[in-house]
Amino acid sequence: MKPQSIHLTVNGKSHELDLSPDTPLLYVLRNDLCLNGPKFGCGLGECGACAVLVNGKTVRSCSISVAAAEGRQIVTLEGLGTVEAPHPVQKAFVEQQAAQCGYCLNGMIMAVAGLINRNPDPTEANIREALKAHLCRCGTHMEILAAARRAVELMREARLDETRLVEIPVEKSRREEAL
Amino acid sequence: MTESREMMASAYFDVPEALLVIRRNAAGARELFLAILPGGQVTAFNGHVDLGTGIRTALAQIVAEELDIPFERVTMVLGTTTAVPDQGPTIASETIQIAAKPLRLAAATARRHLLQMAGALHALEPAVLMIENGVIRPRGESNWELDFDELISGRNEEIEIDPAAPVKAVGEYRLVGKGQKRNDIAAKATGTWSYVHDVRVPGMLHGRVVRPPYTGFDSGDFVGRSLISVDEASIAHIPGIVSVVVDGDFIGIVATREEFAAQAARELKTRWHALPDFQDLSEPEEPLRQNRSKPRLLRDQGDVERALAGASPLMERTYVWPYQMHASIGPSCAVADWKPDELVVWSGTQNPYPMRRDLALLLGMPESSIVVERLEAAGCYGRNCADDVTADAALLSRAVGRPVRVQLTREQEHAWEPKGAAQVIDVRGGLDLEGGPAGYEFDTRYPSNLSPTLALILTGRVPNTPDVAEMGDRTAIPPYAFGNMRVTVHDMPPIARASWFRGVSAMPNSFAHESFIDELAAAAGVDPVEYRLRYLTDSRAADLVRAVTEKAEWKPRTRPETEGAEGDLLYGRGFAYAVYVHGKFPGVPAAWSAWVADVAVNKKTGEIAVTKITVGQDSGLMINPDGVKHQIHGNVIQSLSRVLKEKVSFDGLKVESVEWGGYPIMTFPEVPDIDVLMLPRPNEEPLGVGESASVPSAAAIVNAVYDATGLRFRELPLTPDRILKALREQRGELLAGSAAAIPKKRSWWKLPLALAGIAGAVAGGITLASPVRGAFAPIPRPDPGVFSAATIEKGRLVAAAAGCNVCHVGADGTAFSGGHGFETPFGRVYSTNISPDLVHGIGNWSYPAFERAMRQGVARDGRHLYPVHPYTSFAGADEADLQALYAYLMSQAPSVAVPPENTLKAPFNIRGLLAGWNVLYLDPQPFKVDETKTASWNRGAYLVETLGHCSACHTDRNMLGAEKQGSAHLAGGYADGWVAPAINGAGASPVGWTRAALFDYLRTGHSADHGSAGGPMAGVVKSLSALPDEDIAAMSEYLASRGDAVSGEEAAKQREAKLVAADAAKGRALEISPAGARIFEGACVSCHESASPLAGLALNTNVSSGRPDNVINAILGGMHAPAVLTAQASAADLEIMSMPGFAESLSDRQIADLAAYVRARFAPDEAPWEGMKEAVSKARAAVAGH
Repeated sequence: MKPQSIHLTVNGKSHELDLSPDTPLLYVLRNDLCLNGPKFGCGLGECGACAVLVNGKTVRSCSISVAAAEGRQIVTLEGLGTVEAPHPVQKAFVEQQAAQCGYCLNGMIMAVAGLINRNPDPTEANIREALKAHLCRCGTHMEILAAARRAVELMREARLDETRLVEIPVEKSRREEAL
Repeated sequence: MTESREMMASAYFDVPEALLVIRRNAAGARELFLAILPGGQVTAFNGHVDLGTGIRTALAQIVAEELDIPFERVTMVLGTTTAVPDQGPTIASETIQIAAKPLRLAAATARRHLLQMAGALHALEPAVLMIENGVIRPRGESNWELDFDELISGRNEEIEIDPAAPVKAVGEYRLVGKGQKRNDIAAKATGTWSYVHDVRVPGMLHGRVVRPPYTGFDSGDFVGRSLISVDEASIAHIPGIVSVVVDGDFIGIVATREEFAAQAARELKTRWHALPDFQDLSEPEEPLRQNRSKPRLLRDQGDVERALAGASPLMERTYVWPYQMHASIGPSCAVADWKPDELVVWSGTQNPYPMRRDLALLLGMPESSIVVERLEAAGCYGRNCADDVTADAALLSRAVGRPVRVQLTREQEHAWEPKGAAQVIDVRGGLDLEGGPAGYEFDTRYPSNLSPTLALILTGRVPNTPDVAEMGDRTAIPPYAFGNMRVTVHDMPPIARASWFRGVSAMPNSFAHESFIDELAAAAGVDPVEYRLRYLTDSRAADLVRAVTEKAEWKPRTRPETEGAEGDLLYGRGFAYAVYVHGKFPGVPAAWSAWVADVAVNKKTGEIAVTKITVGQDSGLMINPDGVKHQIHGNVIQSLSRVLKEKVSFDGLKVESVEWGGYPIMTFPEVPDIDVLMLPRPNEEPLGVGESASVPSAAAIVNAVYDATGLRFRELPLTPDRILKALREQRGELLAGSAAAIPKKRSWWKLPLALAGIAGAVAGGITLASPVRGAFAPIPRPDPGVFSAATIEKGRLVAAAAGCNVCHVGADGTAFSGGHGFETPFGRVYSTNISPDLVHGIGNWSYPAFERAMRQGVARDGRHLYPVHPYTSFAGADEADLQALYAYLMSQAPSVAVPPENTLKAPFNIRGLLAGWNVLYLDPQPFKVDETKTASWNRGAYLVETLGHCSACHTDRNMLGAEKQGSAHLAGGYADGWVAPAINGAGASPVGWTRAALFDYLRTGHSADHGSAGGPMAGVVKSLSALPDEDIAAMSEYLASRGDAVSGEEAAKQREAKLVAADAAKGRALEISPAGARIFEGACVSCHESASPLAGLALNTNVSSGRPDNVINAILGGMHAPAVLTAQASAADLEIMSMPGFAESLSDRQIADLAAYVRARFAPDEAPWEGMKEAVSKARAAVAGH
């Protein structure tokens, strides 16, 4: 198809691109935006290596077009966090050493992040179901499952922290009032 | 840009300050193993690479340990040829056992040297000094300390590895033997690690390769000699193509962007010589027996014949292992930058130096001019396509003189990776009078070799006759003290492309040994663990067996079925043990491994659930116990996957399993509990741990299944259909009995012949009656300025309602430029250019000419138009609408596109025949308002029956291609290869249509109770998006009134019932199409089992349709989420998804199997579709022709 102007929001940044609208999102993220988190695994939506978050949901970027992602919030592995300041899900995966070759790791982290977004308290069965169509060939499943469980805990703590952050100023203002 | 060039070893020799530890190779050249650099940093070099096992971390631990420095200070450089020594390929679990030795000695040599230097400075004996955390000081109290910097400052010193340098005693270890977090995972978890896939070089182009049709075969007369021609014109329409490179049977494409290269590789037309007929390797036993082979006697002791002559019972068993694949999760990728005097490749190879030799041969360059930059790639458990793709990239870069990145497709990786070879093992044995093993004759066949780099064979640089490699002997000698034993390996060349895969031949050989000894124990009436221990002479093996069985609380057993049953589940436990012996025979043992497996076998479905694996390993000294545990987990899960699920299927000279549906692997819900026992052996040599725990897997599982069911399986994989068949035979059930329960079959192809929207007259009388129509004079293109904005806007809506662009849009998306081909029973018709171009479009048409074309199907020049153009519907259109449409079209941008010529068969190519047809079928009456109905109903009727021309697709046609009348009107039709279901209320959709559902579907392209619009209907919905909601509501009102629209409550009940039925049909569907079930699980569940309403199948009308066309079309060509739906603001919460096409990934047979499963599972009340394989092949041909 003929190139057209496409506006993408990735990891909070805006990008104007001139592309055929049916270009797979994955190629654009990797080749145009130089984001290496999402990986090419199958191009068929089967393995999950290319997963990104679109409006908070886990989506396989190899099988959606860049046009379909326009106007939505796209977050890649890089957008979650950094080595120095990892997202709780990334932190859990590092803590549990949940990688062998690590090629599928992007998809696993994105799947767990998407799961917790829609279900903050998943059961073991929920976790396994959410990861069912994310393939790992090295057999890192035990560590990935442990990381997913840990991620749920860390996210819960992070939510509590957020609540505390909100509460502190309130208390402070009350204190100020009282004084 | 991610350009990664490793610092060369030669550069270390020139840095001003360093202590370097080297070794001289056979040629006297310096090989660098260790560099101590300023800041206490240490870089260490190893010729082996990290394949995802964490060897980078373990090697750094060894170095940090010997130097007594913090782990974080060590950087490992692995594999890059300008930096590291040549230590051969990374294979056979040798890195720690063999390749790490000189590295450890290098660190020990450096340590001794540093202590000597420090001693010299302070006039102390080195023996009284120590290093702690990278700081040197005297033992005990002291007033001085110094760090490495002070010793290396001001000079670059080289020392040679001293094999006699003292290494640390195990008792002094503080890093080795302790769990160490890996040095790569944090970067990998945040997207900052550079895999070879992530390399970007300035000026880099993108390449794809097109592989020959003999997919997955690299030997035979035809290899390298089958290509007839390449039609470069077939990709001329794709932008950015830089070059098409052809050399023998090698074809590559270079383009400026990856998607251009990918599209070109899909669409490039090539011609190949016909392939010879070939045996089916899906059933490997006979092909392996027939393959030419040479026996090699490995062991002959005692008198086997005599022992077996007296055996009672005598047992002769055959074990069959299927072809399997490494199945790396990332298809291989490489970047090459060729210049006349130097080639640099960025590669995920596991054999940097051997690959460099291959590249030198391929390109006719000296090895010294080639640099291999080694980066990590997706995990590889033997051989994948990493070397092949590197050679591909080198050829393409040389052709274009620029850096080229080549990414293989999933299909290419699956098809062409050197497979784990099939294996056939015959065992003869039996019991002597005391119940001991009487004799043991073992014959194993293993067709595999080292797999030459593919480009070398495809280009004819190396011959297409296969070598034979002696690799079938791994663990061929049983671990038991059989007094009379003869072991023979039948060395043979590969049949399909094959090479080593984790556990190599040891895994199948142990499957045979460990199954057989279980049978001996059962025949002898002895507990299988006890029986093994009687004949196991190796004390470390016996220790391990005892420890594992104790941990698993093994209860001795002498007959099957002692673990009990519950409902449909039969429980069982099995045991197996092996030591993996690798390398050239007699080989070197790696770690010992033993398994206790717990399984539950479902006697109704044949499914095996592995519930727990207790696995023990004696690895000697464990460098990183965390890493060892991780490897054990990985081996258990991967080998279970191989045993339960994995088998490459073939179709003649083609690998048929080319994606995860055709080759499913273990998923998270199937993963068992794994209890790991690691024997502490800190004072023993460290052993390879990368493969050992895989080796006992198959026997442990088949022994557990025997324990559960009393059935012995000697062929893999243990898929439910295999198990169920045996269970039924055991129960004496007739296999054919189930067929009676299948709903009565209807043959969809016997339904009335549905003709696509084209008519031709066959009767001669009509020809004679045809009136001659005159031409309207051409006019200058009307000035768009003469039309009012309101008229043009009205015309835009008319065009939207009429869906002009559904058919007249150009292939490149240009509106109204035409060229869409319609496959019809009479030939192919292309839509015309209706843009206002004077020459190629309708720019010179007057309104009367336009109106006649719309209402009567006659072009301006008097030619008859084929009734693919729905003038029979437009005939009733409102005059003002046609005028507005004319104004709108004339205001559009002209296009000079010329559609292809129609290719109609005679006599349908004679347009004049259409005149007679029109006499019969054209009713030029204007639309009639029904005064008894609401205005909205009448508006809906007008849109549906005239402008919308719904009947053109949704009404069956007669032999002359005219829409049938009466009850057939809107009762379903067939267009452009798609079934257009009934929209008059007579359709058999799983849930009845409500007015609300009709509205949703027409408005958004999707209804939760019916599915999404695909094929031509997707375009119709997109077109309708311009209309106001009132128009869509009007159409819904009219359509609902035509049939028996259901109420919301009724629809909800129907929905619930269908969902319950689909769930209940799962087991039955698995039985009807086990192959389809596997494909569905591997390829489809990522969306079609999710809660997303977009992808639900149980309510999908197409799955319940009498014809499979739409389901087949969707599988072949994919489906896009309705654009209208995803564009809606309210849809922000909706998961966006599209379905990719599987035309290049699934064979006709696979799609037929898959569709059969989908039908049985999601439309369980409907009869199975028949003649599917032919239907798929027909649909595929239609897709290819578009």
